[in-house]
Amino acid sequence: MSGYKETATHDSCFRPGSTLCPGCMESVAFQNLGRVTDNGVKTIFTIGTSCGEVSTLAYPNVVAWGRGDAPPEMFGKSFSIIHNVFESAPTLAEAVRDVSDVLTGCGALERPVQVVAMSGDGGAFAIGLRGLLHTIYRRSRITMMVLVNEFFANTGFQYSPAATPFSDTSTTPAGKAIPGNMQKPLDYVHLAMAAGADLVAQISPAYGKLFVKTMEKSLSLKGTAVVFVPAPCISGWKYDDGQTLELALLGARCGIFPTFVWERGQGGSVKDCPREATERPRIEEFLGMQRRFAHLVERDRETGAIRARAGQEAHLENLRGWVQENVERLYALGELKK
Amino acid sequence: MNSRDVAPQPLLNITPSGARYESVIDLERARAAHLPLHTERTEITADGNTAAAIASLQMWRCMIYPGFPITPSTKWIETVAAYVASTPGTPKRVKLLEAEHAVADYMVGAAAACRDLIFVTATSSVGLDHMTETTRSLGASGLGNVMIINVYRATANFPLCIEGDPSDTLAHRDDGFIQIVARGKQQIYDTVLQAPCLGMHPDVLTPTMPGYYGIKSSHRNARLVLEPDAAIGAFQDRWMAPCPLPGLINGDTAFGNCVTSRYFQGFKVAQKRRLERALELLPQVGADFERTFGRPGLAFFDAVGWPEKGEVDLAVVSMGPDFGTFEALRDAWAREHGMSVAGLAIRLLTPFPREAVREKLRRARAVLVVNQAHHAGRGHLTLDVADALNGLPVVPPIVSAFAGIGGADVSEATWEAMLDSGRRSLAGETLPPYQVFHEGRSL
Repeated sequence: MSGYKETATHDSCFRPGSTLCPGCMESVAFQNLGRVTDNGVKTIFTIGTSCGEVSTLAYPNVVAWGRGDAPPEMFGKSFSIIHNVFESAPTLAEAVRDVSDVLTGCGALERPVQVVAMSGDGGAFAIGLRGLLHTIYRRSRITMMVLVNEFFANTGFQYSPAATPFSDTSTTPAGKAIPGNMQKPLDYVHLAMAAGADLVAQISPAYGKLFVKTMEKSLSLKGTAVVFVPAPCISGWKYDDGQTLELALLGARCGIFPTFVWERGQGGSVKDCPREATERPRIEEFLGMQRRFAHLVERDRETGAIRARAGQEAHLENLRGWVQENVERLYALGELKK
Repeated sequence: MNSRDVAPQPLLNITPSGARYESVIDLERARAAHLPLHTERTEITADGNTAAAIASLQMWRCMIYPGFPITPSTKWIETVAAYVASTPGTPKRVKLLEAEHAVADYMVGAAAACRDLIFVTATSSVGLDHMTETTRSLGASGLGNVMIINVYRATANFPLCIEGDPSDTLAHRDDGFIQIVARGKQQIYDTVLQAPCLGMHPDVLTPTMPGYYGIKSSHRNARLVLEPDAAIGAFQDRWMAPCPLPGLINGDTAFGNCVTSRYFQGFKVAQKRRLERALELLPQVGADFERTFGRPGLAFFDAVGWPEKGEVDLAVVSMGPDFGTFEALRDAWAREHGMSVAGLAIRLLTPFPREAVREKLRRARAVLVVNQAHHAGRGHLTLDVADALNGLPVVPPIVSAFAGIGGADVSEATWEAMLDSGRRSLAGETLPPYQVFHEGRSL
């Protein structure tokens, strides 16, 4: 594995030309993963329908992927990408892995290939949950990166099974009768572990070194790695330009999506998110930066502190309870060895 | 001369996109790893699914077999799995997915990974329906190295009926696949061997969907001649050039992009042209097969009872194994009624061979079309035949019949009742737009 600083100088396969929103966490993740995969091994990405797909693979726009015009002898720089449907990225990746393995097995392919599947919320947790879990279950030697922005962002910010409770989405709008999403998020980290993944992580590129290290580890595994990437969405979460990394760090530290890395046989740990709520940033700080929670919290004009809106105290307390459950569950999962 | 020296070159304007690394995949190693199932011509007795499975196994370009079981296609994957399990050293693998949709997705990834290998599966009925989201992508993908063997069975589970009815394949006419109908074990085996020659031709690059009737063809046994693997490989080499486009492994490329509606036009026009090119190439593949193996190869249809000048009183158009019953009684019925009767059993369903069908039917005085699947109107085949006859100076009347729906037997009595409708039409009687026949009478 190379060092973080060295990786930062690598040639990313994510190129200029995407139409992702400025400040989109997906582009940060693509850029970092793109550099990690510049390791001398042929790279193949599969991508489900998502913002990350329609914003990078639209013809006649520039295809925002590749490593430029490497000479033919530099096959290690070679890069390919394929999109099929929302839910298919893991299955496509598994197929590519199998074909390269069977060709390698008979001596027809002598160069190694690394395969990465990329999905969004819909492609991994909703229409694509079946495909995700079964590819993990079959122990395919691929890395899956799931970009979790808690929406079906591509189709207009509808509820996804990863949506934070009480968040305002276009299909769980906050109103006088219903205060946004009333469903607890799917426990996707636990599901991936239970299905048989060898490495499961929830980590933001805001933790640059750990993100790169986790991705490098994932690519070197003999089994399946699943990396969930919390992806603040400037358009859907409704926050101000320039706050993406701050929100990513705050969300992880306050317990909404704690950083977590687990390996089969070794266990795992929660990073930068104490078990005790009093030792973590208040969730109000995270909620207050986003207008998707504007029905729940407001800024006190005198003190500047974020607080529950009048009549929303019980909902905020409820959310606090879920966050604590979330943190404790990840600590418990970290103790599992297999 | 090495057979690969005469491999076909693309005629259509296909522009490779992205670099292609010529030497990364050494296909000769894959060929060398193949363990032949048969080294000489062999005769066996087998059912249709077994015939299709053996053909799939004899192709060295088939190395991974993705599948998910569904009646009546299940024995295809079982047969392949049994071979792989009992053959030490084979490079072939069976890949069991969790659902048909996943199988179709898997074939997208696999076929794009290496465009010179063939990826084949078998399915049926709602299994094919479950694949639909991805079969439509596949049809437009340029991945001619995908083959879905469709064992016909009625779609819709209200009520569930597991017998052979082509409503599944007919519901997928617009998926973009080349759809070929086979009847009889030998034709099933031969069709599976020829279909990828057509689909992988550099002018066509379109996935194929050979099919046959569930139960009637899939489960009944008959004599089958198997060719040696080496002869099959040599035949296929004449039609399968290395794909001119980069794959995921041997190229820098992007598949499945979004396009604006303006550019969508061009993609769709190219897709239609590739599909229609199959109309020119299919007879050539079939003729080469016949020269090589001494049996009829791919054709637009099987023609029965046509006089040299093509003038007949009544022409019958149908498909599938029940056409055999018509063949058996045709001559006697025609003599009894003092009429000349001939028939076409359609082999190429999509693209429909309009010109060839029109040419064959242009001197018929009336045409009886027998449909075997539910249709909102007069019948799938009826509409195709009507389209084919459109523009003739004198368009013969079309008598539209439904029979054998849900895989029901089309008995001699039913055929006679349908033929009698054709006779009445010739006599000037006005018939309803369509009639449904069963057990010798109109329902």
